[in-house]
Amino acid sequence: MLNLFKIEWLKIKTYKTFWLLYLSFMVFTPLFVIFVAYKFMNSKYSNFEEMTLKALAGAPFVFPKVWHSATYFSGLFFVVLSMLFILLITNEVQYRTHRQNIIDGWSRMDFIKAKFTLMIFFIISAVAVTFITALIIGYTYSPQGADVWGGIKYIGYFALMATVYLMVAFLVAILVKRTGLSIIIFFVLVVIVDNLLWLAFTLKESQLGYYMPLEAVDSLIPNPFKPKVMERRTVADYTLIIAAFSYLTVYMYIIISYFRKTDLKT
Amino acid sequence: MAILSINNLTKNYGKIKALDNVSFEVPPKTVFGILGPNGSGKTTLLGIVMDILKATGGNYKWQGEESIEAMRKKIGTLLETPNFYAYLSGEDNLKIAARIKGRGEEDIEKVLTTVNLFERRKSKFNTYSLGMKQRLAIASTLLGNPDILVFDEPTNGLDPAGIAEIRVLIQDLNHQGKTIVMASHILDEVEKVCTHVAIIQKGVLKTVGSVNEVLNTSGSDAKDGILIELSAANNQQLKNILEQIPGLIKISETDGGFDIICPENTGAESVNRFCFDKGIVLNKLNVKRKSLETRFLEITGKQSDR
Repeated sequence: MLNLFKIEWLKIKTYKTFWLLYLSFMVFTPLFVIFVAYKFMNSKYSNFEEMTLKALAGAPFVFPKVWHSATYFSGLFFVVLSMLFILLITNEVQYRTHRQNIIDGWSRMDFIKAKFTLMIFFIISAVAVTFITALIIGYTYSPQGADVWGGIKYIGYFALMATVYLMVAFLVAILVKRTGLSIIIFFVLVVIVDNLLWLAFTLKESQLGYYMPLEAVDSLIPNPFKPKVMERRTVADYTLIIAAFSYLTVYMYIIISYFRKTDLKT
Repeated sequence: MAILSINNLTKNYGKIKALDNVSFEVPPKTVFGILGPNGSGKTTLLGIVMDILKATGGNYKWQGEESIEAMRKKIGTLLETPNFYAYLSGEDNLKIAARIKGRGEEDIEKVLTTVNLFERRKSKFNTYSLGMKQRLAIASTLLGNPDILVFDEPTNGLDPAGIAEIRVLIQDLNHQGKTIVMASHILDEVEKVCTHVAIIQKGVLKTVGSVNEVLNTSGSDAKDGILIELSAANNQQLKNILEQIPGLIKISETDGGFDIICPENTGAESVNRFCFDKGIVLNKLNVKRKSLETRFLEITGKQSDR
């Protein structure tokens, strides 16, 4: 597996678009979260709404809740890495290098595994940067004796969310093949389809909406500023985790069985 | 053992049969040409034996092996067009290919020199001309000094000097004992470098064998005959005399002379003597070896919408 990753690394290490998108996530995300935390913590109680908002939000940048807030914001920007992942897969089709890799001696499975190593690289990067950001903010604003590790489960949720997003990106890229169209379809799925389905179920007082492909992981890390009283979800976290893993299994199965059997054309 | 054996390979694209029950074997140490018009299924065939296309039916073996990943690492292949990462340099592209093949980077300088690309090794692939791209693709096939090479239209996009270089390279590789499988629609190319040839048309294997075998299998026009071109100062008189040649199979008028097909035992010498004895002096006498082109057209027909 490490050898496969080294080859993937050769493909991207001098690719400008890769660095542009990768670094914009890795740099912009922590800066943004730190900026929001700074603004929030240093704002004066100037008006009633702001006071209410702050009170309802309940110390979002202090341990342990900072884990929740940091992963939430990081999750918002994670589509950048998903997009990059799509691009790196559809590039192979566009340049027909997916054919060449196989001609040169990879098996079809090697190609899939190589992209999985890339996926793991993105997950580890995103988790690491989010983890460090949360620690920095937490230690900056928490009082002595705060429960530092109390919300660490959100890091786990974030890793799961990242995995699901990348797997959906992988699936779309492998099936659609064209860069622009893949990215559009991915965005439509993420922004529109999933949310509409969620809305439709929720309006019918059904909890099924929380089990939608991407909503399952989105719901694990809800908006930290949303007051508890407004939360409609009653299903437990672990059922969403089970749903997410089921989706992952299905996507993986489709990706592997499709790519092993298909004719590799452009 | 055959380097590559293909058994009843079939590939359908919907109703279209791109390959229809094709079987043949590539003997070791040959330059094996796969010849066919555009769209005859050559690239489909090579795509299948390289596992980038999946056959509808039939199977193939490389050196008797069914397991093909390990085999492919030991085969140098150029299929259809050069496939490289546009934003990487020629050298970096070769590093990737070498890594996939499980080779070190020590070959890269040598193969780039072989195809005259060493000076441009640091330039990005998308700055290369068509011919340079093709040469990089050929360089890539030479990584790890493989014993088997597969070339699909290897001289595509090359200038005349480049074409000649690649031909010499292919012959050199063959003299080193390597087996080369080469698809082409350029008859001249196949005739000049191949020892064996398979002709396919509309996905059907028409004939296969050594180039000599294929050439000597007579077509309908020239059953057991040889073709001689000749002319004289007085062509009308010549015609009358030619028609008296014993066993003459066919005579046809050409620009300023005649093509005759006569029995093999007659030969040019006896034709010459026959005319001279009858009082005609030939000013042209040319025994035509049947070219692969003639053979090819005999086999595949003459319309281009085959």
